[in-house]
Parts: sequence; structure tokens; C-alpha cells
Amino acid sequence: MRTRRLAVALTVATCFAVGCGSEPDPAQTAAGTGAPEAVKPSQWKATLEPVSFEGWQEELHSLQGQIVVVDMWATWCLPCIERFPHMVELSTEFADQGVEFVSLCLDDRDDADAIELARKFLTEQKATFPNYLMDEVVTHAFEKLDLLGIPAVFIYGPDGVLRYRLTGDDPNNQYTDADVVDAIEELLAAG
Amino acid sequence: MNLRGLILATSVLTLVVLPVVLQAGEYNAVVEIGAPMPQFSDLPATDGTTLSYADLKEEVVILVFLANHCPWVKGMDPDLIALGEAIQSDNVRIIGVSVNHREDDRLPAMKKHGAEAGYNFTYIYDESQQLGRELGATRTPEYYVFNKDRELVYMGLLHNSPASKRQDGTINYTEGDPTQFYVADAVKALLAGQEIAVAETRAHGCSVEYAQD
Repeated sequence: MRTRRLAVALTVATCFAVGCGSEPDPAQTAAGTGAPEAVKPSQWKATLEPVSFEGWQEELHSLQGQIVVVDMWATWCLPCIERFPHMVELSTEFADQGVEFVSLCLDDRDDADAIELARKFLTEQKATFPNYLMDEVVTHAFEKLDLLGIPAVFIYGPDGVLRYRLTGDDPNNQYTDADVVDAIEELLAAG
Repeated sequence: MNLRGLILATSVLTLVVLPVVLQAGEYNAVVEIGAPMPQFSDLPATDGTTLSYADLKEEVVILVFLANHCPWVKGMDPDLIALGEAIQSDNVRIIGVSVNHREDDRLPAMKKHGAEAGYNFTYIYDESQQLGRELGATRTPEYYVFNKDRELVYMGLLHNSPASKRQDGTINYTEGDPTQFYVADAVKALLAGQEIAVAETRAHGCSVEYAQD
């Protein structure tokens, strides 16, 4: 895991330094032929949907009925980048058990380079679950979410109630990848 | 509810809530205002010296937790250095502290970053992470101001507009030009023997990673 985390971090660092390679846009490819084409897996591109804090509450509400795991991250947060692949793995592992994974990006909404980097990272990670960008001044977003820092994982029960708030706020009790798995399994066991 | 009822209810609520609130600050899981500065010994600095608690003779001491890799630290570096210049003639000392274990936050990288950024204060590395743990420091940059008795009088942001350094090298202030200078105001108040107007704010920046058992 450590080696993989390092590799992911290096990839992002390289993107910062020289820019990530661009991939063909499926929509443009299809338009060029005048006929719709099946989008190949390699051409899939992640979207990053801007959402206000109020809109975010509505999105969460719309997901009620299932366990919802929210990964809060940003491209400026190296631990977030390093942990993200684990969330993608878990999203596959728990896909057929009524667990919905969602990412919420806390990059600066006005920083076009950072947003593009975030989208490319999500594409590279094959983060096919819903990916949102908090459309707020970043410090306001932290206040509204009552967050001190990221990475953080919020896990909601099927009733929409926040059941686990996994953060790094306490130096002596920062959450681990194993804590995320334990929390999901406890919620599943609780039915 | 009449006034007496309200007072009684408030008193009961205070009795119930107070023990919890007193365990830590509003934005800090470990310490609250008034906490003592943790003791530390022989922590290596970027200038080749070591620093201990007993070396601190100044009337005011500012500890600021930093991380070289962090865009929020880089974005706020010019303002931190400006603070260092502003308090140069006063009996005040700034100490930068790094506790992360990633290579780009360790001493060799600290020396390089401090030199490039023009750090005008002592910058120490705490491999044990104990200083950060005891102060509940979880973000960079995060400021702690101590009075002459080495009691915590302020913790949180440098000012009210945290800034980050973008990939293109520009610095972006989240709230435009800063208008409230919390650390500078706390220092001024201490030196003037006045009360600190704002004692705690929500620090913003990169997370500090602590080794978990």
C-alpha cells in the first residue's frame, strides 16, 4: 500500500510540474464522425460537478436509503491523494451491498488549473462514482462542513444520519484506512 | 420562560456542558486557551543549532507549525516573514516547527525551503511529533502565541484571509486583502498588558500527519 501511495503522489506531483497528458474527448470523437460511438473504457473521463453547500445537503438527502461514504479531498492535500485509491477499491468491494461512494473536492473553485488537475486525477483513478466540487470559498466550505482538515471521511446511515465522522482532528486518534472499512462493516451489520 | 427560569436553565446547561467544553479549544481537540507551553529539549534547527524550552527568554513566543510541501504554507510564507520583520525590535520570538515524517517536510528539505523563502526565524524539526501532539496541532500553518508565563493566549490563523500558492506561482488570498491580524494583535496586546480580543480562530491549511500506534 505504501509503495502504491507513493506512486500516486508522484504522479500528481508530476502533473503539477509538467502537466498531465490529455485524453481524447469521447464527445468530440463522436462528433467528428457524425455518428455516435460507444465510449471505450480508456476514453472515460470523470466529471466534477460544482455544488453549493445547500446543494450538497440536497444531494445527500437524495441518497437516503443506502449507506453513503463521502471522501473529502483536494489536490493540494497530499495525504488525500495518497488515500484516494483505497476509496476507489472500497467502492468496488462494497458495490453490491448498498453502499454508495461519493467524493467531495475542496479545491479552490476559482483555480482552473487545480480543478483540471482534480478532474484528471479522478479520471486516472477511475473514480466512476459521483464526484462533486464544493462551490464555495474554500475556507467557508470548511466552516460550513465543520471541518478542521482533510482528508476526512463522513459516513451516513441509510436514514441519512451522519454515523461516522473520520478525521485527523485529534493527533492521538487520526483515522486510518482500516477505520473506514470497520465503519462500513458495522453499519452493514446493523442492517 | 421568565428571566429567573432562563437563568436557572442556563446554569444547569452550563453545569452539564462546561466539563466537556473545558477539555479543549473550539477548534482544537487537545488544548484550550491558558494551556502551558509543552517542554521540549534539543530539537534540531535548520541553522545547525538545537533549541530547548529553557532557551526561550523572550516575553512573547510564537510557535507556528509549518510543512514545506504545503501550498497554504507557501502562500502564507511572505506574511509570516513580514511578521518576523515587524516584531524584530520587540521582545518576541517566532519559532517554526515541522513534525511531519514525509521526506519533503524533514530537516534537509526544511533547510532548503527556509533559505529559499527567506525565513527570518528559528525553524526546528520534532521527529517525535510530541510538540505537535501536546498542542493538538493538526494543520499547517497553525499559530500558537504564549505569554511570558508561557501560557497559551491565542491559537489559529495568522490573519483572516488564508492564502495558498497556486501551480502557476501566484498567491491567492481566500478573502482578499487581510483585515484582521490575529497574531500581530495578540502580540501587541500582550506587550501593552491588554486583553486579547480574539483568542482562537479556525486554522486552515494542510493536515499534519501523526504516526498512529
